[in-house]
Amino acid sequence: MIEAENISKTYSRGAAGTVEALKVISFQIAPGEFVAVRGASGSGKSTLLNILGCLDQPSSGSYRLDGEDVARYGDKQLSRIRNAKIGFIFQSFNLLARTTALENVEIPMVYRDGQVDRQRALSALERVGLRARAHHFATELSGGEQQRVAIARALINNPALILADEPTGNLDMNVGREVMSLLEGLHSEGRTILMVTHEDAIAAYASREITLRDGLIISDFHRPARTMPPLMQGAI
Amino acid sequence: MKTPKLVSQAARSMRRYWVRTTLMVLGVVVGIASLGVVSSIGEATRRETTARFKSMLGTFDTIMVRPGGGHSRGMPTLVNVPPTLRFEDADAIARELPEINTVAEMQTAFDVDIKYRDRTTSLVVIGVSPNWLLLRSEDVQDGAFFTQEQNASLARVAVLGTEARAALFPDEGPLGKNFRIADVPFQVIGLLKSRGAGPGGGSLDNLILVPVNTASRRLFNRDFLTMLIAQVRDPERSTEATDRVSALLRDRHHIRPPALDDFTITNPAATMAQVTRAKSTLTRILAGVAAMALLIGGVVIMSLMSIAVSERRKEIGVRRSVGATRADIVAQFLLEAILVASTGGVAGALGGWGGMRLAARMQNLPLTLVWRPFAAAILLSMGIGVVFGIYPAWKASKLDPIQVLRS
Repeated sequence: MIEAENISKTYSRGAAGTVEALKVISFQIAPGEFVAVRGASGSGKSTLLNILGCLDQPSSGSYRLDGEDVARYGDKQLSRIRNAKIGFIFQSFNLLARTTALENVEIPMVYRDGQVDRQRALSALERVGLRARAHHFATELSGGEQQRVAIARALINNPALILADEPTGNLDMNVGREVMSLLEGLHSEGRTILMVTHEDAIAAYASREITLRDGLIISDFHRPARTMPPLMQGAI
Repeated sequence: MKTPKLVSQAARSMRRYWVRTTLMVLGVVVGIASLGVVSSIGEATRRETTARFKSMLGTFDTIMVRPGGGHSRGMPTLVNVPPTLRFEDADAIARELPEINTVAEMQTAFDVDIKYRDRTTSLVVIGVSPNWLLLRSEDVQDGAFFTQEQNASLARVAVLGTEARAALFPDEGPLGKNFRIADVPFQVIGLLKSRGAGPGGGSLDNLILVPVNTASRRLFNRDFLTMLIAQVRDPERSTEATDRVSALLRDRHHIRPPALDDFTITNPAATMAQVTRAKSTLTRILAGVAAMALLIGGVVIMSLMSIAVSERRKEIGVRRSVGATRADIVAQFLLEAILVASTGGVAGALGGWGGMRLAARMQNLPLTLVWRPFAAAILLSMGIGVVFGIYPAWKASKLDPIQVLRS
C-alpha cells in the first residue's frame, strides 16, 4: 500500500538556514495493515503524515501509494489522490462550523465529481450511528459524535487508506473506545490504517508500531496477534 | 461539473457568515449606488444639453459659414455685412464638394418694417432657400413652406414664426393673408412651430421667412449672403468637411497665406463638444467621488475576506485534505467575493435607481433615467469582487493544511 524509499523533507527557514524535519527514511506498509506511528513532538510525525497524506511532497526519495508514484505529483494529482484514496481523521475533529453533520459528510463528494449523493452521505452517518443527528450543526454535537461525523466524512469516498492523527486525543476513554472500535471495523474491512498516537492503550490497537525520533525511524515492530481489544483486556 | 457545486458552496458560506456578508454588501452598495446615480445624472445632463443645442442650432450635421473674418463681431445686418459670401459660393460648395449634401443660402435683415392693415411692427426677416427646413430640423405647423419654384420665380410668399404671427394676426387666421414687408406685399403661406429661446436668451420665433431669391431681388437688392449652411454627408467627418469648405472658399476668394479668411466657419459639432466637455468636468469630479466610495467598498471586501480566510483556516484545511486543489480554494473564495460584490452591485443599482425616482417625484423634476450607467455599475461591482477578492483567495490557497488541521 505504502512504499516510502529514502524520503526526506527539508524546510528552509530563510536566513536561519534549513531544518531537516525528516532525514532519509524508508519503510513499507502492506495493504490492510494497522500501523501506529509514535514519537515526541518534533520527531517528524506531522511531516511524515503530511507526505503520506499527499498534502506535501518529499524533498527527495520516492513515495508509492497504492501503486502510484506520487512523490513528483503536482497539486491537482495529489488532490485527486487525497480525494479518492485517503480519509483523514484529526484530533480536533475539524468539522466545518455552522454546517450540519450531513453537509460535513458531503464535502468530499463536492471535490470528487461535484455529484453530491445525499443518500450515500446519510448511510455513512448511519454507519457511525448518527443518522438521527444528520441535520444538527457541528456545534450541537458532543466530541465523540463530532469525531464519528468526521469518520463518516473520511469514509464517504471509500478510501483505501485512513490517516488518523491522534483520533482519541480530545476524547475521554469511553468515547475513545467507541471511536477505536469504528476504526477497527474499518480495518477489518481491509482498509489500511495509519494512526499517529502517543497513548500506549490506543497504540495497542495497531498490529505494528513505528517510532520516530529526530526525523529518523528508531523502531519498527510487529505486535503479536491479539483476540481482544486492549482496553477490554485491562477491564477483565 | 464541479463549478456549480463550488458556486453553491460559496453561496452557502455567504449565508453562514451573513453578518460579514451584509457588511461587505453594504460597502459595495454605497459605492455602486452613488456611481450609478452620478453617472446617470451626468448622462441625462449630456443628453439634455445635446437636445437643447439641437434646437438652437438645428441639426448637428451642418456647417455654418458667415462672411467676414474672425474679427468681425456682433449681429450681422445688411449694412455691416461684408459682401464677400455670394450665391455662387453656395453653388460651388454644393456642386464641387462630395462631402456636402446640400447648401442653404440665407439673407438676414433686422428691424424690417412689417405692416398688416393698421398694425405695424419691426421684425427679423430672413431670406432662406427652400431646403432650410431640412437643415434646421424645423417644421411647419400649419400651411406649407415655399418651394424651389417659388424661390426661382421670386414669389412673394412668407412663413411666420409664432411670435411674428401673434404680433400681426392676434385674432385671425393668417394663412392666405396679404401683408407688407418693407412696403412689398407678401402672402402668408405657412406657420412655423415654436422653437423657444435661443443661445442669447432671445426668442427664435420672432421672425419671418421668405424665399432667399425674393429677399435678394425684391426686398434688399443685394446679391451676397449673410450666411450659408452646408449639410455634411457624414457627420462623423464634419471637421474634414469644414476644412474642404474653407479651402474651396479661400480658393474662390483668391486668398493666399498669410492672408486671413474673409469668412468664418462654425462647426456645431465642435462647439457642442466643447460645451459638453465643460459640463462633464463636474460630472467627472462627482464620478471620482463615487469611485472613491466604490474603492472603499472594495477595500472592505478585501479586509473582511482576509479576516474570513484566517477565521476559516480550518475549513480550508479540511477542504484541502478531502481533495480540494489550490485552484478550488481560490475559486471558492473568489466566487464568494464576486457573489458578495455583485449582490451589492445589484442592490446598489436598484437602490440608486429607486432613490432617483423618489427624488424626482418629491422634487417634481422631470425624470431622465439612464439605465446604462447602472448596468455598467453592476458589471463594475463584479470586477471589484475579482480585484479585491483575488488576494485573500490566493492567501487562502497558500495555507499549509496540516498545520491548521493539527492546531
